[in-house]
Amino acid sequence: MLCSCSIFCYAQLMANNLVHANKTKQVAADGKMQLKTAIELIKKKFDIKIAYREGILENKSINLSQNELAGFLDPGLALRQTLNGTQLAFNKINDAQFIIVELGSDQQRADVIKGTVFGANDNLPLIGATVYIKGTKTGASTDAQGQFSLTVPSEVKGQPIVLSVASVGFEPLEVAVADFKTPLTIKLQESSSKLSDVVVTALGIKRDTKALGYSVTEVKGSEFTQARENNIANALTGKVAGVNATGLSTGPGGSSRVIIRGNGSFNGNNQPLYVVNGMPIDNSVPGGAATTNTLGNNVDRGDGIGSINPDDIESITVLKGGTAAALYGSRASNGVILITTKKGRKQKGIGVEYNSTYTIEQAINDNDYQYEYGQGLNGVKPMTKNDAIATGRLSFGAKIDGSDYVAADGLTHPYTAQKDNIKNFYSTGTNFTNTVAFSGGTDGIVYRLSIADLDSKGIISTTRFKRQTANLNINAKITDKIRVEGLAQYNLERGFNRTLAGDALGNPNWTPYEVANTVDVRWLAPGYDAAGNQTPWNDAGIATNGYFVINKYQQDDTKNRFIGQGSITYDIVKNFSLKGVISRDFYNYNYTSILPTGDIYIPNGQYTGLKSDVSETNALLTGNYKTRIADKVGISVLGGVNSRRFENKQLNMDGLTFTIPYFYSYKNLATSSTIPTHQRIRTNSIFGSADIDYNNLLFLTYTARNDWFSTLSPQNNSILYQSVGGSFVLSQAVKLPEAFDILRVRASWAEVGGGAADPYRINLSYSNVPSSGLPLQNVTSNDITNQNLKPYTSTTYEGGVELKMFKGRLGLDLTAYSRKTTNDILNAAISSTSGYNNAVLNVGELSNKGIEALLTGTPISKSKFSWNISYNLAYNKSKVIQLVEGTNSFQVASSVGNWGYINQTVGSAYGTIVGTRMLRNAEGQIVYNSATNRPVATGLQELGDGVPPLTMGLNQDFRIGAFNISFLVDGKFGNKVFSIKEVYATRLGLMKSTLEGRENGLTLSGVDQAGNPYSATIPVSGLRAYYNDLRNYSELFVHDGSFIKLRQAIISYNIPVENLKAVKIQSASISFVARNILTLYKKTDTFDPESSYTNGNAQGFESIGLPRTRTFGLNLMVKF
Amino acid sequence: CTKDFQEINTDPEASATVQPAFVFTKALYDGAKNNLNLLLGTMQYTTSFNDVAGFGSKYVSSQSQQSSGVFGAAYYQEINELALVINAVGQNPDQVNLLASARIWRAYCYSRITDLYGDIPYSEAVKGYTEANYKPAYDAQKNIYADMLKELDEAAKSFNPAKTNFGAADLIYAGNNDKWKKFAYSLMLRLGMRMTKVDPVLAETWVKKAIAGGVITDDADIAKINYLNAGQDINKNPIALKLYNDDYIKADGNSNTEGGKYQEPFITYLKNNKDPRLAILSVVYVNGAPDTSSAIQKGMPATLSAKPTNFVTYSEPNQKTVLLLSGAKLLFTTAESNFLLAEASLRGWYTGDASTLYEAGIKSAMKQWAIIAPGDGAISDLQINTYIKYHKLNAAGTFDQKMAQIYTEFWLAAFPDAQEAFASYRRTGYPALVPVVYVGNATGGKIFRRMLYPLTEQNLNKASYNAAVARQGADDFMTRIWWDKL
Repeated sequence: MLCSCSIFCYAQLMANNLVHANKTKQVAADGKMQLKTAIELIKKKFDIKIAYREGILENKSINLSQNELAGFLDPGLALRQTLNGTQLAFNKINDAQFIIVELGSDQQRADVIKGTVFGANDNLPLIGATVYIKGTKTGASTDAQGQFSLTVPSEVKGQPIVLSVASVGFEPLEVAVADFKTPLTIKLQESSSKLSDVVVTALGIKRDTKALGYSVTEVKGSEFTQARENNIANALTGKVAGVNATGLSTGPGGSSRVIIRGNGSFNGNNQPLYVVNGMPIDNSVPGGAATTNTLGNNVDRGDGIGSINPDDIESITVLKGGTAAALYGSRASNGVILITTKKGRKQKGIGVEYNSTYTIEQAINDNDYQYEYGQGLNGVKPMTKNDAIATGRLSFGAKIDGSDYVAADGLTHPYTAQKDNIKNFYSTGTNFTNTVAFSGGTDGIVYRLSIADLDSKGIISTTRFKRQTANLNINAKITDKIRVEGLAQYNLERGFNRTLAGDALGNPNWTPYEVANTVDVRWLAPGYDAAGNQTPWNDAGIATNGYFVINKYQQDDTKNRFIGQGSITYDIVKNFSLKGVISRDFYNYNYTSILPTGDIYIPNGQYTGLKSDVSETNALLTGNYKTRIADKVGISVLGGVNSRRFENKQLNMDGLTFTIPYFYSYKNLATSSTIPTHQRIRTNSIFGSADIDYNNLLFLTYTARNDWFSTLSPQNNSILYQSVGGSFVLSQAVKLPEAFDILRVRASWAEVGGGAADPYRINLSYSNVPSSGLPLQNVTSNDITNQNLKPYTSTTYEGGVELKMFKGRLGLDLTAYSRKTTNDILNAAISSTSGYNNAVLNVGELSNKGIEALLTGTPISKSKFSWNISYNLAYNKSKVIQLVEGTNSFQVASSVGNWGYINQTVGSAYGTIVGTRMLRNAEGQIVYNSATNRPVATGLQELGDGVPPLTMGLNQDFRIGAFNISFLVDGKFGNKVFSIKEVYATRLGLMKSTLEGRENGLTLSGVDQAGNPYSATIPVSGLRAYYNDLRNYSELFVHDGSFIKLRQAIISYNIPVENLKAVKIQSASISFVARNILTLYKKTDTFDPESSYTNGNAQGFESIGLPRTRTFGLNLMVKF
Repeated sequence: CTKDFQEINTDPEASATVQPAFVFTKALYDGAKNNLNLLLGTMQYTTSFNDVAGFGSKYVSSQSQQSSGVFGAAYYQEINELALVINAVGQNPDQVNLLASARIWRAYCYSRITDLYGDIPYSEAVKGYTEANYKPAYDAQKNIYADMLKELDEAAKSFNPAKTNFGAADLIYAGNNDKWKKFAYSLMLRLGMRMTKVDPVLAETWVKKAIAGGVITDDADIAKINYLNAGQDINKNPIALKLYNDDYIKADGNSNTEGGKYQEPFITYLKNNKDPRLAILSVVYVNGAPDTSSAIQKGMPATLSAKPTNFVTYSEPNQKTVLLLSGAKLLFTTAESNFLLAEASLRGWYTGDASTLYEAGIKSAMKQWAIIAPGDGAISDLQINTYIKYHKLNAAGTFDQKMAQIYTEFWLAAFPDAQEAFASYRRTGYPALVPVVYVGNATGGKIFRRMLYPLTEQNLNKASYNAAVARQGADDFMTRIWWDKL
């Protein structure tokens, strides 16, 4: 056994030696002493550690004179004297560590030293660790398997050899090489004070955080696997400063919206680029994101990031700044989320990991309605079925008194408040996820294969989402110089009856939210009659009976997705390697939605079909050269080319009227059309970067990239952009008090250019319009194309300070940034009188400025009990600087009924809610139109920001023995939400605010339009119309969207597997997990402030989506 | 590395060149379908117990924005399509007939918008692509009228029988130049007469010019578009399709999706006057079967705010005529010519006999249902003559009494083109409709004088919008447009 390789072994050896020393502490009579005894004496006298291969000291003795300890002042001299003539030599590692090696013959000494470097804690191979032969310039860095190989240079041949091994994030180690035949196994301890961290940066390059000129945050994969979200992006909520992640109210399999440091583009995709193991993946929603105001089939079909299985994730790195992302080009201007998947590792046998989570979720009831006056109109409760249907959504009836009345089911019921309609309508949702992963490998090849199954049942009982994932990762070393890596992921995702959002048709949520307050929603079940036709429950056919939606509407979709990557790395010469990667992310999507025969609003049914083949293909070639000059200056240069191809082949197959009723086939439609769309985008790029560091003190990075975009004008389709970043480690340069571990400052500047997100925006084209008669043609789109379309640019300045104190117990990271987008490619809404509804223009200018803070601390760190805190806070102030010349504002979206808009307005924040107010005079009195007895509505005014500027998250971790308890609290502040639910609840008499006037009429007072005093009484018979008309004053429904939520709690127990001798379990834990547990603070009474149902840019509307849910469950993790 | 970018960035599913004939056909369909159907309620033909669908008849303030529909849809569809056609054929003298047809249709389309809203973008409109004008100014209606009349005049004169025409792509006349000419002069007659209140002298000039040019007086010359019963929606009669889809698709008299029925005044008038049209336009469902018996026909009051228990007993449009998806849509009828000529005669601008013209108007108005719905729409000469016998123009009556007779008949003749009825109602005051007074109405219980501009104009074209409002008056239902000035 080779003992000199790990500091663990040192300790062991020391203990052994001491035992030996006690037994053999006598001097031989012949004036000689055993060599081993002599060495022990040296160790004792000088209090040093001496390592050697077991056995080499045996049967050797020295002259006593050689070990006259009193004569030596220095352990080196003592050892030299002692070992003289023993065919042994020693080497000094440091003042306290020595190693004894054999002086073998040349044959014994190989020319090549091989080994593998591991992290001591997790036994995972360390990639990119540097291994130098001490005293020489010979060195190497470890490959993807943690392996290295060094050729011993001639000048040190025959001498004792010591390797110095270093890897960022780990304590450096010096290792004496005593045996050249066996490959070394070197284990590095993680640096205890976490003075330096290694993170994955652009193109998968691992770098020390202290070398970075920008802010990055890494989140370990384990944080996503216990209290999990189906969509991994949702799990980022509250975890990273400056990352605003929102899960949508669209049920299982829904999308996420992640915005880093504010929205950077008016119309473009503002979400970050998702990169898996260095290569981009597609994050599109098939057929596009749900919109804020569409009738029918407005459904969230799920985004691309939702396909990633949390169990496959090793870590997620969030690159926030432009500099961080500059190497990825335009799509990274909104930041990059780098996902590193788990890899196999060399081990004996097969490692098996099993992770299972079962959670249940329940709808949260946010209905804060009035329960004083029940169903009916004009103060009268319904006494016939017809009246009950006519007033099915109206709570303008009599005072609730428990008497009999007739409901929409035609039966007599007591006239009592029904407060549990949310509980009664929604089912308990479940999520069951199982992942099993196998990993293993040898020196040459390592692999990991995971197979996962996710089965979610929504809170709408027929909603289901299933996802099966297989992920295979293989790394192989072909020769000493060539390594290959392959990744293949196959997903089969199936969604059933995803919930429609937005307007009322087919949106089941309208029923439990809007049904009159004395109706038990279950009376409306099953929603259809014997013939299968919808049973009416209210006077508006468009507000579909929710049970009819559940039972008769049909939607299913299937996504087959394949993500494949292959790479080859060739170390051409020392320090210079070439890497080629090809990746392709491809999905094939089929969606069918049936609005059935017998619907009241569309009695003969409707068919919506979508077939979409989307692929994102990237080919990347990089060359990398590293060197160190005079030990102090490190230089690393990288150059590369990339070609990106995106393609979407889509077929929209829509139709109306099923010729044979209740038979749902595209071929059974009286009117149908199939419309193909074929989008192609290509971006070619060349890029390079140079990193220079000086003595671990000063780091500089420069990058440059040139992109050519197919979507831009041929005259203007190229842009070169650059970035510079620097980091200065102050604590290295000057002597700071001991409490300071590290203090560094960083700054960077970056420019990123981008092309148009959509193709075909250069020239006007004409398309045929489906016709059953003569051929028809029109312009392909109502957007005015732009022949001069050029790249937009996004420029970021960023500066920050990082501080770590008290051996890592306290950390602070502060960043301030300013990001400005200029020449943004706007798909600007223009007056339709121009002949077009939008114009593609290169004019937008948008600024985002902000600060981010991350405070980490370990107030208690005992072996049995520890407490970790991590608090992040980010404030982003966005400002629209410029729009189309002469235009101050444009509309992004409108709500159902056009009662509210989201606009971009010069001088305001990104995405403001716009609507009307009641006109008031200078004294604040409401101005009434005396002819109509209604307040006069103002023109459109700004009512608030749709995007929260302030976000924060607080994580706390408690470890008590084998238990771990963690809490995540997060909050968002400063935005407004316009609530469609409240508009309707007001119109329908459900809001408490509609109670006024129920008995004797509502008295209005103010001034008339001439300024004279005005007063009038709205009679009880006019109340419904009055409250119905309040929808004309948007301000009434705009509320502060700030909230603080207890987002997540995990209590986990590490099962002591040592006691489970029967099965070979390495580790096991069981956890109780909960998400969205409590809302600690909110200002919206009737709805959850996080109720968006689109991941598009129009944020700021609540529109009767699924209620938010509370999730509880158990998680079991076992490693064999 | 960019050599194939241009090819990559070319939509393989689209054409780079415009086909003027195909776009013209689309413009004809779009122009003919851009109707403000809520005016069917305002003109008291139909109503609903429901606020949203009943807006036109109840003037419910919360639904005010519905009234901007025609404005909102016109420009990016028919008006821009016509600009594409005119730009494509305009410079070519061989295509003068194509240009003339497009100009006449454009005048028709613009007149339909300006008559609803007053001042609208006109001279600067639909130049977003060609001149990057994203914020067209609104023109005063007076100037729009002057230009539309000039356009009609020039276009009518420019036809050249030696040159090519749109042929089959012309849904109205299949390329018949002479009929287009009559259509142009008929529109000139319509627009000329619109100006009687505001500028009688100018009105007289244009009415006389139109009559001299030759207007549609023969049913064979009626401007109309024929439709199909099945297939794409664009190929179906737009008014029938809208009514059918919105309300009458179930055809059982009770499951009307938006609660629609005929309104009381319309059915009562037809019934009281023993109008033979009642039997072909209106049905009541008895035990689920349509019944056209006059005795049981009954219109629904517009004042209802909830579904009445006797909902099924109210009259609704006949599936075989009004709701016939393949029924023709009449754009300019001989009935209208005759009524306008009768008025011209009363004013002394035309030599024809007012009574004869009035009777010819009634007759062609009744005959036109056989054009819309051959077979089921037929009314016999005997029925027509009997009706006329009891509805002679009161020769001894005042001008105003005669106008009342003519334009009450026009109201019946125009159905279901409520926009034209609305225009002549505002100009002449007939028929003497009694406004519906409904809680929460936006007009103070009066009938609209104009429609509202889309809210988006306040947002996207603010300066132009403000200038128009400053000139014309508040963007309000009761503001009177230029030719409607008291």
